[in-house]
Amino acid sequence: MSPEEQISKLLRLKRYEQPRPGYFEDFLQEFQDRQRAELIRRPLWEIAWDRIVSLAPSFQVPRMAYASIVALAVAASAIIVVHPGARASRGALAANRSTLSLTSSQPVTIGESVPVTLTSTGSPSVHYVLPTRPVSSYASSRSF
Amino acid sequence: METPETPDEELVARTQAGDARAFDQLVVRFSPRLYGLVYNMTSNHEDTNDLLQEIFAKAYRSIKGFQGKSSFYTWMHSISVNMAINFLKKRNRRMTMSLDDVDNGIANDPEFIEATSDYDPRHQANLGELQKRLNEAMMKLSEEHRAVVAMFDIQGMPHAEIAKILKVSEGTVRSRLFYAHRQLQNYLQEFITT
Repeated sequence: MSPEEQISKLLRLKRYEQPRPGYFEDFLQEFQDRQRAELIRRPLWEIAWDRIVSLAPSFQVPRMAYASIVALAVAASAIIVVHPGARASRGALAANRSTLSLTSSQPVTIGESVPVTLTSTGSPSVHYVLPTRPVSSYASSRSF
Repeated sequence: METPETPDEELVARTQAGDARAFDQLVVRFSPRLYGLVYNMTSNHEDTNDLLQEIFAKAYRSIKGFQGKSSFYTWMHSISVNMAINFLKKRNRRMTMSLDDVDNGIANDPEFIEATSDYDPRHQANLGELQKRLNEAMMKLSEEHRAVVAMFDIQGMPHAEIAKILKVSEGTVRSRLFYAHRQLQNYLQEFITT
């Protein structure tokens, strides 16, 4: 018998290594008990994740790709729901409302981009100034 | 009560439709075979029991995604081998397994003694030693090589089936077997007559 065959024969002896008698009869019961215990113990997100993974096994995509997609989806949802950028700009506008007035230290001319200023009541009002001549110059030349 | 002849596919379809009892039948049907596979990779009955419970739990959670592209048998074996390899890698990182953790309880098993009766009497004197050395030799193989040896030499599975389970070519299976046998010959030299 060749050494290769002898090795195979020795390894076949491991077939005799079996669990205690009655083990397989108890195995199913233990499985059912563990399943019930797991249902109570497992967090919902873990169950949901398992469902997602089990529903999309046919695609040849690494598991980490699924994780990235789900993470992106969660992040996108969070951005949409919380929308921190919009909140911040809305907050800034609200803060400026009390300080904005009809007059501006910077004259604005027609033809440039038109700024929108807010009155203290909050209604938008546009402050136009004719080209080259600030409002103050009209006021100073006026006499009654 | 299910008859033993109920095909796996039918039990799988019923499980997918929500019949948990059909899955119980699959557990009963597959646990002895998968136990052998996992045990021969871990060489520890307690670890095998825990791992086998996790394997069936995972299979149950994932069964809706099983589309029958491979047989249920192949699918279950794939899950088992992958989970066993992951478990062993974690266990190896956690600790170096003590040889006392390797189960050596069959030396008094009459079937085992009968099976080893045609060995040289010098070797028969210590069947416990033979089993211990066999397990130690197995544990010295890498997880991937051990899986191939467990499936081919111990469970008697054909190369093609092992290739499907491991998602490698038959050539890879053969080369892993060749390498593993060479290593085992070195570890078990005293039990081999030239």
